[in-house]
This record gives sequence, C-alpha cells and structure tokens, in this order.
Amino acid sequence: MTKLIVDGKEIEVPAEYTLLQACEAAGAEIPRFCFHERLSIAGNCRMCLVELKGAPKPVASCAWGVRDCRPGPNGKPPEVITRSPMVKKAREGVMEFLLINHPLDCPICDQGGECDLQDQSMAYGTDSSRFSENKRAVEDKYIGVLVKTSMNRCIQCTRCVRFITEVAGVPELGAIGRGEDMEITTYLEGAMTSELQSNVVDLCPVGALTSRPYAFVARPWELGKTESIDVMDAVGSAIRVDTRGREVMRILPRVNDAVNEEWISDKTRHIVDGLRVQRLDVPYVREGGRLREASWQEAFAAIAAKVKAAKPERLGAIVGDLAACEEIFALKDLMARLGTKSIDCRQDGSAAHPKNGRASYIVNPTIAGIEQADALIIVGANPRMEASLVNARIRKRWRSGNFPIGLIGERVDLTYPYQHLGAGPESVAQAASGEFGEALKKAERPMVLLGAGATARPDGAAVAAAAAKLAQDIGAVKDGWNGFAMLQNAASRVGALDLGAVPGEGGLTAGDMATAGALDALFLLGADEIAVEPGAFVVYIGTHGDRGAHRADVILPGAAYTEKSGIFVNTEGRVQMAARAAFPPGDAREDWAILRALSDVLGHKLPYDSMTALRHAMFDAAPHLARVDQIEAGAPGDIAKLASAGGTPDKAPFAAAVADFYLTNPIARASAIMAECSALARGTPMATAAE
Amino acid sequence: MNPRITIENIPPGPGRGRGRGKPKPKGRQVDLRALEEVRVLLGGRPRRRDLLIEHLHLIQDHYGHLSAAHLAALAAEMRLALVEVYEVATFYAHFDVVKEGEVPPPAVTVRVCDSLSCAMAGAEKLLTDLQEKLGADVRVVRAPCMGACHQAPVCAVGHVQIAHANAEKVSQGVAGDRHAHAATPGRDLAAYRLEGGYALLRDCLDGKRTREEIIGIVDVAGLRGLGGAGFPTGRKWNLVRKEPAPRLMAVNGDEGEPGTFKDRHYLGLDPHRFIEGMLLAAWVVEAPAVYFYLRDEYPELRLMLTDEIAKVVAAGLAPHTQIHMRRGAGAYICGEESAMIESIEGKRGLPRHRPPYVAQVGLFGRPTLEQNVETLFWVRDIVEKGADWFTSHGRRERKGLRSFSVSGRVKDPGVKLAPAGISARELIEEYCGGMQDGHTFKAYLPGGASGGILPASMADEPLDFGTLEKYGCFVGSHAVVILSDKDDIKAVALNLMRFFEDESCGQCTPCRVGTEKAAKLMASGPWDEKLLDDLASVMRTASICGLGQAAPNPLTCVFKYFPEELKKPLGTW
Repeated sequence: MTKLIVDGKEIEVPAEYTLLQACEAAGAEIPRFCFHERLSIAGNCRMCLVELKGAPKPVASCAWGVRDCRPGPNGKPPEVITRSPMVKKAREGVMEFLLINHPLDCPICDQGGECDLQDQSMAYGTDSSRFSENKRAVEDKYIGVLVKTSMNRCIQCTRCVRFITEVAGVPELGAIGRGEDMEITTYLEGAMTSELQSNVVDLCPVGALTSRPYAFVARPWELGKTESIDVMDAVGSAIRVDTRGREVMRILPRVNDAVNEEWISDKTRHIVDGLRVQRLDVPYVREGGRLREASWQEAFAAIAAKVKAAKPERLGAIVGDLAACEEIFALKDLMARLGTKSIDCRQDGSAAHPKNGRASYIVNPTIAGIEQADALIIVGANPRMEASLVNARIRKRWRSGNFPIGLIGERVDLTYPYQHLGAGPESVAQAASGEFGEALKKAERPMVLLGAGATARPDGAAVAAAAAKLAQDIGAVKDGWNGFAMLQNAASRVGALDLGAVPGEGGLTAGDMATAGALDALFLLGADEIAVEPGAFVVYIGTHGDRGAHRADVILPGAAYTEKSGIFVNTEGRVQMAARAAFPPGDAREDWAILRALSDVLGHKLPYDSMTALRHAMFDAAPHLARVDQIEAGAPGDIAKLASAGGTPDKAPFAAAVADFYLTNPIARASAIMAECSALARGTPMATAAE
Repeated sequence: MNPRITIENIPPGPGRGRGRGKPKPKGRQVDLRALEEVRVLLGGRPRRRDLLIEHLHLIQDHYGHLSAAHLAALAAEMRLALVEVYEVATFYAHFDVVKEGEVPPPAVTVRVCDSLSCAMAGAEKLLTDLQEKLGADVRVVRAPCMGACHQAPVCAVGHVQIAHANAEKVSQGVAGDRHAHAATPGRDLAAYRLEGGYALLRDCLDGKRTREEIIGIVDVAGLRGLGGAGFPTGRKWNLVRKEPAPRLMAVNGDEGEPGTFKDRHYLGLDPHRFIEGMLLAAWVVEAPAVYFYLRDEYPELRLMLTDEIAKVVAAGLAPHTQIHMRRGAGAYICGEESAMIESIEGKRGLPRHRPPYVAQVGLFGRPTLEQNVETLFWVRDIVEKGADWFTSHGRRERKGLRSFSVSGRVKDPGVKLAPAGISARELIEEYCGGMQDGHTFKAYLPGGASGGILPASMADEPLDFGTLEKYGCFVGSHAVVILSDKDDIKAVALNLMRFFEDESCGQCTPCRVGTEKAAKLMASGPWDEKLLDDLASVMRTASICGLGQAAPNPLTCVFKYFPEELKKPLGTW
C-alpha cells in the first residue's frame, strides 16, 4: 500500500493502482473517454488529466502509476490535485478539442441522452464553441449488421479496437491511417465476426458506433428499465431489459463480475425482435388436423379428455431450455400427481443426472474461478458457441499467461490457441498420460471443461465418467479446488436437475418419450429442440410458433423470460432471479399459472394459488433455490461417484452441440436479426434486409 | 516484367460503406496466387511479427504498391490479423495501399520535399512544374524533409534523391535509374583500421579496458544525446546497466527533424567511426542485440552500411552482439524514441507513455539503450583523445563540440562542426560564409521545426541544450535554418505546422486535432492570437509526446517575437 494525498485527503492505495483509480478511491471524479477498467490503457483522449505536485505539466491519470509518483518534500506522500485551475483549464481545452470535429447532430444521434461526450461536455466543457470552420468528414464504414457507424462522431478513443482485440479475441477492427486521417474500420470494410461484437456499442463513448437494429427506435429517457437475467445460454448474464409500454425495446448488459463482467453476447442483446413475432397469444386446439384458436376452457377440456383417458404411465412431460424453476417445479408436481414418472429436462439426451450429486453437472470452479485455474482441458465443448462469456473468461485467463489449454473434440476457433489432443472419447482416456497430461498434472488448479458435445450422446454417461476420472487423475479435485466443470447450454437445465426433473424409476427419458407410440399424452414445457414423433397427444406450453407448437394438439400460450419473474440457475449453479419487464401478449399467461389452472381441470389441483405460495413449496423441496445470487457448492465426492459409473464409450468423435449459434431457441429463431446474423455467419446471402 | 496483381480478378468485398454488403464466406480470403508471390518474395526470411515492416517493404519495392490481395496473403503467411497488417501499412507514408477496385499508382513516384528549407528554395514552383512536365505516368507528391536541406530544393525519384532539383534534372532522373545503389563510404574498413580504427573496440573486447572506465570518460567529457534531447550519455549507460539483463540496444537513425542532416553526413563520411561507437556502447551495456533503425530516405546509406557492417562482423569485430538493420517507412514520429521501438517491433509508430522509460521497458519489453547516430559517432574519439580533448572546445562556458546542420539563406550551408555555445550569428559569419547576397538576416530556427523561431536580434544567444528553453525554444538536433527578409515569418510557421499536421501519429487528441486546426486557422485570415494561443497551450500541456508538445513552438514564437508580422497578409515563396 502506498500513501497519496488526493485533493488534500490522505489515502492509502495499492502501489499498482493508476492515479485515476487512486483518485476514484479518494472519491474524486475523473472524466475519461478512452480509459476503461476492463481494457488495456491507451491514454490517448487526455481527458483524465490531473495535477501531480512536482510534475511540470498535468499528467494523464489513467496512464500514470501510483508507484511512479515521486514523494513530496520532507517525505510527504505524493500529492494529486483534481480540482485546480490548471486541471480545469486542461480539461476544458481537451473537451473543446474533442468537440472541434464532433458533429452537433445530437438530436438525431442514438447516443443522445446516454452519451459520455454529452455528459462530460456539460460537466467539464465550456458553453460555446469558438471554431466555425468545417468539421472533419469521415465516410461511414460497413462493419456488420449489428453495429451501425457514424464515423464523423468518432473521437478515436480506440476502446472498440481494444475490446475486439483483447476481450473478443477476433482482431477485426483497427485504426488505419495517421494523424487527423486516422479512422476506425475493419479490414477493407468486412463485417465483424465476433459473437461479442455489439459490446462495442456500449463501449463507444460517443455515437460513432450504435446499435443497428435499435437505430432510431427510442430515446433512453422514455424507457422503463428492468434488471434481469438472460436465458439465451446457461451463463445467466446480468441484463437490463428496457421497455416502452409493454414492448421490449432493447437489452443491455449489467455488471456482474462473477458472471458476465459487463459483456453480453450478440444473441443475448439482439433477440429483441424475436420477442414480438411468431408469438402464441391465444390457446389453440387441433381439429381435423388443423390448429384453431380456442378459449382456455376449450383447450383445457381437450387436454382433460385425453389425459383422463390415458393410463398414468402413458403420460409424460419434457422441460424445455428456457423454463424457469417455478414452472418446472409445478410441472413435476403435476406429473407426480398424475402418477407418471416420465419427466425429463434433457431434450438433447445429455447424461447429466442429479443422482451423482450437484457437483457432477455444474461448473464447479465457477466462471470467475476460471481466472484461478492454471491449466485447462476442454472435452467435447465449444465454449465460444455454447457459453460465449465463459469463453471470454477463458480467454481473459489465457491472456494473463501460463495457461496451457488442451482440446478434445472438433478443431474450432476459440479465440485463443490450444493444443488439439484428439477428436473423441479415446483421447479422453489417454489425456492424463500424454505430454499435455503432464502439464495438467503439474498444474495446481487444473480444470476439465466437459461439454454437451461429449455428454449429449448415447454413450454420454460413459464419456462423463471418463472425464471425471481424468479430473481425478490429474488432481483437479482436491481440498480447496474442484476443477471439474460440466458446461450446460440450456438456461433451465441446472435448475431442472436440482429439482429432479429427470425420469424416475421406470420413467422414460426425453428421447424415449418422443419416440412414436411411447406415450398417449405428452406435455412440452417450451420444448422445441426435440422432434416428437407421431402418436402422442401433445400439449405445448410455450411462447413461439416453433417446432413444439407445430407438433402440438393443444397450444397453451405462455410467457417469455422477459414477461415473468422466475428463478434460473446458471451453469455454475448460481441461483438468479429474472424479473418481469413486460406482459405476455394477448391471452398468454405465466406458465406456472397455466399449469395451476390446468391441474384443477385435470382433477389434481396444485396446492398453491400464488407465486409466493409456489415458491414456498419449491424452497421446501430445494432450499438452496431461495438463496439468490449464491452457489450451493457441490460435494467433491460427486466427481468420484460420476467417475465410478465407468462404461465404455464408443469411438465416434465429439460433434458440435450448437450447430448455429444464432438460432438455438424459439425466440432466436423468430428474430429476423438473428436470421441475418446466421446467414452472414454461414456466408449465404439473405433475400431481405432486416435493417 | 513481374506479374502484377490485377484488380479485376479479386472479388469485391462486402459493403463499400453503403450499408449492407454481400456476405462472403468466413475466414481469410487469401488469393492463392498472391500467397505464392508473397512466399517467393519472403523466401527463407523468418515470419516474425517484428519483421512486418521489412516484409511490407519487400512487396512495395517489388510491385510498386501493396495490393489488398498481397496484404491478405502476407497476413496469412505471417499469421497476423488482416487488420493489424492493414493498420501498419496505412500508417507509413512510403507504403501505397491499393484497395480492391482502386487503381495502383504509376510506376514512378517523384517526391518533392516541401519542408522549410526546400520551400524557401522554391519547392512549390517545382511541384507545379513537375506536375505539368512529367504527365500522368509519373506521380508527383509532396514529401517531408529528406535530410538534404543544404542542397534544397530536393526531390526523390523513386529511391534516388536529386539535389538542387529543377524540372530538367528530375525529368532526366525519371528516365534514368530510379533504384538506389550503395554509397561509397568516405572511409572504408581498411582505411579506417589503418588509422587505428577498431583498436579501442578490440581492447574493450579483450578486457584491456573496463566498462566503468569507458563510461567514466564519456561522462567526464559531458557527451550528450545528440538526437535532440541532450540526455547525458554516461548517465544513460549507467541507468541501463542497472536494469536486469538481457538488455537491448536501439540506434536511432530516423533523422526526420526538418533541417537536420548531420547523421546522414557522418554515416556517409566515416561509417566505421559510427559502427565502432555502436559496438562499444553495446559492449558497455552488454546488449546481445542491436537494432539500427535507419530512415527510408537514405537508401544508399542503408545499402552501404549493410555491406560495411557485414564486413565488420566478418572481421570478427562484433562477437558480443548481433546487429539488425531496420528500415523506416516514412514517418517523422518514429524518430521519437518509444515510437521507434514500436516501429522496430513491426507496429505503427505510436509513442508510448512514460514511465516506464525506454531504459526500463523498451524494445520487446526489455531494458533498452537507445542512442542517436551522432552520439555514438563521437564515442571513439572521446575515449581515445580523452575527455579533455572534447571539453577543450566550447564558448560561453559550454563545453564540447556540436554538429550544426545549417541551411537556408547562407552562402555555404552544410554540416558545421562547431564549439558548443556558439551563437547563430557566429555560425553564419564564421562557418557559413555569411548571408547569401541580397538577403538580410532576419530570423532563425535554432532546432529544426520544433525548436521555435528566434529573431536576428536574439542571434547572440549561445546555441546549446538548456539555454533557449526560457524563450520557448530549444536547440534539439542542432538544425539551424537561417531566414532572411525575403521570408515571411507567418508562412514559415505555417509550413512547420503543416509538417506537424502531416506527421502527427493521431494517437492523442491534443496533437491530432490541434495541429490540424492550427494549420487551418493559420492558413485563413488574420491570426486570432487568443484562440491560437489556447490551442497551443492545450497541445503543449496535454500531448503524449514531444511532437505535440513542441508543435506549437513556431506559432507561439511568432506571437512573442514577431508581433509586427501579424499585421501583414500571409506570404508565400
């Protein structure tokens, strides 16, 4: 710790702090454009100047270390002044410079109202411009379908370049030319390919990079803001849902250092239009092979007729990927009351199972804990596509050095280098012995990341056992460190496993239930990733006219994740609460309420009339779900249990669990923006533009 | 003829700034023929990141430009991101990036120096004449100082410079050989050794002299960094030696300060005296590698020095270090020590923040001794002849010798080795044969473009480090440009500001915006003193490096010392 005087106040800060951090610690506000906590230091905007006693000129506080300060006279600590006339003048000068070439098009700028330049100009600038010459004109660049450019507004802070290069790991943005001709662009104006690219919109301190889909849609001050949780993958990124009236207008990241830091993937951000279209807003009943609109009573009656006629063991339910814990709990409860043991949350056929304990199906080291790991082996996962922010965290860890990474599975671009150790299960068995195995064994905190590409296959249980054994062999499970991580792709999955939404004794798995003739009636709780063969009477509770709805005999319109309060458990086992930002459209209702009403008609009334009552019942069954924002750690012994299952995997190489990043769920598939991104990623032109 | 990449055979990329583009398949689109061509050009050279600029030179030299296809191929071959290659290629003035759909430049480029000394000698007229005379097959462009100010005006046809250029001479040059050939050294290796050269180095390498002894002599002699900053050399060596090994050394031969041509002079005159100095310094700081960065404007020296260094290595005189030649690519900013290091690493020349200083964290992250060419040139003489010899020179309590690059309105311009502390008036009278006929001494630049402008009435000030600072000026690289009553001071200041505008790297706001704005305001209408002064003060206080901090010096000097000039309209030459 080093002593420092900031504006007359003596403070103690770590020596590795920059002056900017030290000033903030002392409560002094420092304006900045180029500096960003999570990016490298550029020091180019010169807005953060402060006066350092003894230095002839103001210094850029973001680029000046506390340890670089010379002590004052008589052994006094170095003194920093952030409010002197010298600082005020310097800031005014820099502010004026930034505005010399910045267009005054705030009325038509989408950044208006949330613009750093606007705000800081108010706080630190002067009230008028002294320059009347023409401003610099820069051609706008095409850098993809998600980010719109207005390059006249660019102040060359290079935050976007640093983000894309450092965090996203896909260096496609650069500053070309020099001097006043310096421009930000992609190489020859190609579209960016990073799945995290839209974060540059948040980072841009001015309106040079704005959201293309959100262009001219709304002003920040007319939006209601709801803090919530994302469900596009199992990471559970912290988001803010901005609504106007009952419509979701945009989704932004929130800071959660434990999960997504302050980034979100493009899918998380841009499925907004998917929430509006293809929506199921009234119940439907299939008659004569065609679906027709119906009333809730008609729909319930049709279901009741089928269910009451069926034997209990001929009933079943599949939980989809976007379901919240509450409705999963209600569904499981209902199925139990109906007398069936066939319920499954693993549409993809994953081998994840609660019988081995919680540690066997969560990311035990936690997402933030990846930064403590010192070696990593990835088995059958593509974290970039399955959990983009876990991948960003791995990259962050890799950038800090000494982090050997091995991969068994498809050779894919993960934005960091890795050693390819093989394609399938055989390599898992050998991994501990090879050269890379030695590196793993030498590591103090090695990590095994097991993905759905390895577990969601018929021999998944055997592969998972082999991976667990590998974790044991390399010493990944020990006192104070559990390096075994099963990466889940579905937001609902860990919660559903926690609640035991898997087949009981004699019950059928999702795959079995979907087989022709297996059941008489099947409930799909937003399950759209599984093809249900003909035979069963299918009740689909969900939000979008997707695969499940097309197969359904009765459709009950539910609420999307932005339209209900619900608990989700992310892939590291963290319990998080999503909040309602808007209302479901038309006659659609919250899923738990639908199940509650249906249970009454079926003669097995669920004993809770309110969400509060439901949660009480659920917390009785799974107390850890009440502890929001916490992780109920799994027992290290679970890994041994998983490993002991043994079994012989077959030889087929691991295949990708996510075929198309942009189209993994019904909301995304309804989104025109996602369709465009997907087409761009596949390299096939789209007939229509979604601009 | 070498096969050129034709523009037609490259598919157009998505989006030309009009919004939606045609999507293309993912991944790097590398033209196989271009890749093959790049591979042939690179041959067995390593594909290391730091050699990017060298490799770009190979392509530029061979094809006359850098096509999009070649850049993509080079990126693939060097395993770099396309945009990184693109960033670097567009930063340097000597690279011509030709995007898809653009027409490559003509085969011949004539660069006309428009920096101050050449502008005073009629560069503007020459530019117009050449554009008319040479026609469309020849590209005539402006270029910054080429380090031949005593022979102004100067042009470069291809890589060959033409002194005292006129349209006639340049036309002949265009028709003739446009490739540079190695210069003949003023004194070759044999001659240099005959007069005792490399004996000192031998003694050092053989352990007959100690490092402390050498540092001591250099310290006592008061040798200072002659690139412009004037940092005491002995102290620098001690500082670098205190840092943990491995330490590196970088030699700054990017002599770009307008009006400066002393390094060029000494390198041509007596290259081995410099090479010996370089090897001595490398021995002192125990640097296993020396990177010698030479500006691209001196190709004949680069070729010659490459040969001579090879001879020195072959003679077994450099067992302790490895010398790497690095070629600049047309960027004044790379003369700034940290920008030069970035450039040696194959990046854009963006100055770094200090601290940490180059001596602590320099080239490739290692402690680095960075020295100017001329500083090293004097090491042998100082050690052999003794500190007393060096300090015996000097006037007005200053000690040592200084090499002044004098240009402008004097009869006999050139590099003048004079005692430290000499005044401008003495320099003109004693060393340069007085003013040119018909010219009256009016003002002078004590230190190139960035050192400010002083009036003739202040021509008796000693020209040395730490003296002129109180006037808002400095002596820097000792580039003295003499102005006369025929030169408009406002035009001079504008010329200099335009130079800084062109050469600003664009990294930090004050310099990027300030130089451009100042040039614009200075070129139009009467000068608004308050406004320009405010501009200058932001640039001076808030810029990252010396370029931006010093750029307003000439401007503020006009306000301070030439108030009567402000009333006159802007002049020309």
